[in-house]
Amino acid sequence: MARNKLEFPLEAEAYEIICKIGVGVSASVYKAVCIPMNSTVVAIKAIDLDRSRADFDSLRRETKTMSLLSHPNILNAYCSFTVDRCLWVVMPFMSCGSLHSIVSSSFPEGLPENCISVFLKETLNAISYLHDQGHLHRDIKAGNILVDSDGSVKLADFGVSASIYEPVTTSSGTTSSSLRLTDIAGTPYWMAPEVVHSHTGYGFKADIWSFGITALELAHGRPPLSHLPPLKSLLMKITKRFHFNDYEINTSGCGKKKFSKAFREMVGLCLEQDPAKRPSAEKLLKHPFFRNCKGVDFVVKNVLQCLSNTEQMFIESQVLIKGVEDDEEGDEEILKKRRISGWNFREDDLQLSPVFPTTESDSTSEGDRHRDKPEGDKVVITGSEVGLGFSNRKEEAKEQEGEVVGFDRDLVLEKLQLLKKSLEHQRARVLVIIEALSGEREERSREEELLEMVEKLKIELEAEKMKTLRAEKESVLG
Amino acid sequence: MKGLFKSKPRTPADIVRQTRDLFLYADRSNSLPDLRESKREEKMAELSKNIRDMKSILYGNSEAEPVAEACAQLTQEFFREDTLRLLITCLPKLNLETRKDATQLVANLQRQQVNSRLIASDYLEANLDLMDVLMEGFENTDLALHYGAMFRECIRHQIVAKYVLESEHVKKFFDYIQLPNFDIAADAAATFKELLTRHKSTVAEFLTKNEDWFFADYNSKLLESSNYITRRQAIKLLGDILLDRSNSAVMTRYVSSRDNLRILMNLLRESSKSIQIEAFHVFKLFAANQNKPSDIVNILVANKSKLLRLLADLKPDKEDERFEADKSQVLKEIAALEPRDLA
Repeated sequence: MARNKLEFPLEAEAYEIICKIGVGVSASVYKAVCIPMNSTVVAIKAIDLDRSRADFDSLRRETKTMSLLSHPNILNAYCSFTVDRCLWVVMPFMSCGSLHSIVSSSFPEGLPENCISVFLKETLNAISYLHDQGHLHRDIKAGNILVDSDGSVKLADFGVSASIYEPVTTSSGTTSSSLRLTDIAGTPYWMAPEVVHSHTGYGFKADIWSFGITALELAHGRPPLSHLPPLKSLLMKITKRFHFNDYEINTSGCGKKKFSKAFREMVGLCLEQDPAKRPSAEKLLKHPFFRNCKGVDFVVKNVLQCLSNTEQMFIESQVLIKGVEDDEEGDEEILKKRRISGWNFREDDLQLSPVFPTTESDSTSEGDRHRDKPEGDKVVITGSEVGLGFSNRKEEAKEQEGEVVGFDRDLVLEKLQLLKKSLEHQRARVLVIIEALSGEREERSREEELLEMVEKLKIELEAEKMKTLRAEKESVLG
Repeated sequence: MKGLFKSKPRTPADIVRQTRDLFLYADRSNSLPDLRESKREEKMAELSKNIRDMKSILYGNSEAEPVAEACAQLTQEFFREDTLRLLITCLPKLNLETRKDATQLVANLQRQQVNSRLIASDYLEANLDLMDVLMEGFENTDLALHYGAMFRECIRHQIVAKYVLESEHVKKFFDYIQLPNFDIAADAAATFKELLTRHKSTVAEFLTKNEDWFFADYNSKLLESSNYITRRQAIKLLGDILLDRSNSAVMTRYVSSRDNLRILMNLLRESSKSIQIEAFHVFKLFAANQNKPSDIVNILVANKSKLLRLLADLKPDKEDERFEADKSQVLKEIAALEPRDLA
């Protein structure tokens, strides 16, 4: 069994850092070349060890997982070694970044279905292998699915993954032979209901749920419920007052997108409330949706070639090859914190729906470009970004072309209002970027925000309770 | 006749016996040059499948929970003969997936009870030399993580941990935990910690007997290592060891040595806060000792103002009442110290 692991040098001097391509709470990701290996391009994740717990147990598990897993759809590590206070994990460089950054930079309304199926199938291969190995990934989402320019797709970030064969509780000496886990881990929008709240624990099927959410994320450009704060999205799942299937149909209606029956059915299976009813990864691979799936060449031509590279994407939008977040810290309390730090970062990102004119109008509205437009038109495009799909935008742009000739005060005013709103959004987004880059946002402010959130939710919950009570009374009286 | 046997499902013991034969075959196969490659591959594939089958008997699978009776049968047959030795020696010949399965199989077997006895422990007691083989694995990048995981499972048994502690192996850990490969070094560190914390009475006995060289090496190789992560892990583990009640005699002697105090004071001055905090948990033992030798008192007095300032500024990121209580106690102790004549 030859592993290429041995070939990569274990000292910092052998690598030349080119630039930073991602940043998270306690780690950064760099693009680098490995000089003695013909300057092979690699990604290096540098994890700040001073922020890790002293037993380094979760880091040990993560790097061990990454070096023992061997599958074309899984991002494994070439090697890992310490450099002063950092742990460097050397990995293959995936030049197109994550599906999350691809979607938010170039496909804010979601990817075409025939591309989604390619990405999902590759991801599902990885999940099927992982599950066969006894591993739960526990954090499946577009941000953790990385893509290279040749179309290879790899599932990344084993920071919170778990093995059913290696019970985390070492002290008590209990064997977990029941193949179930109970600790909470993951990112709220993608978390299965039984992970959030279950008496009996959860298993592999929790990954299948997250896979379903990821499918929706690719289809719509963001995960369902992302217009809500993450905690509320969790609450919805627990109380089951919300049906994902309804959501899916609703939004696909308003986005004027048609999804095939096979796709909708496949997602529906993944999002069964009852984990037992969800298919296994292996079974899901046989679903008709994946049967006539195109090859990776198709996505290379249709998606990847029109992207800017990872470095640019990072500079443009700060959001990264994920897998960078808090990689550490095994215990539950900190895992919870991880979730929070996650949404601070990402929630804004998704809420403000990263629809930005610069990259996007270049890559998507090619039709408009030929027409050599007057300057006033550009303003309109920017303004109409707010909340409007780009299919509408083109129409509006055409409309505007006519209007520019005969000056209409009301219309211009309206457009300017839109523009103002858009600029405000941009401003907010820039602030997020500044915060993320300067790392100024402190733990405390996050905690405070959380407390506020909890307060708000409490009040809402109370109001709901009252309503239900009243309704009940009324129905009794009536 | 053959057809009859074929229709009968294999019992767990059957699978173990077949696996043993396949191991013997794998062990020999290199010395049989005229063997057809395809035949060899077929046998190795069969071996991989058997190992996986045993694993799913012990752990269960997505369809079924493990059955106690089947687990007991398998375990009994496995240790009735020298199967574990064969597995360990043949591991390098297995592919990556089978190595992982084999490692998980061995891990599980250590915990299986037959008639409320851990028969793995009895087997290992009679075959302690296997630990020597596993130990060598740390030096082979390809095998380290597999052998290392098995090693850690085996020292769950007190008798095995005792053997390792009393052997020369224990010295090698000082080097293994500083290997450049992080995943291997971290694995060795986890094992080292397990070795020095799991079996209290064995550890206390070992430390008492080997105090001199052990702490001298611990100080010079680990606490004064140039490697950040080594110092960080070592100071944490030292705290765990010394604060354990069963090691109180060793602790009392440790905090009476000025060499030890000097090293701890250096760690307190590190720029890494995590190391400072861990160092404090050991340093406080020096200060709290009610029978401080004069030279210890004099060092503390000579550095009194520096120490008081340093400690006053030392705060964990998270609020920690116990830490604060300990700190004020230590501050009080040091502030009250007066120089003493050397006896």
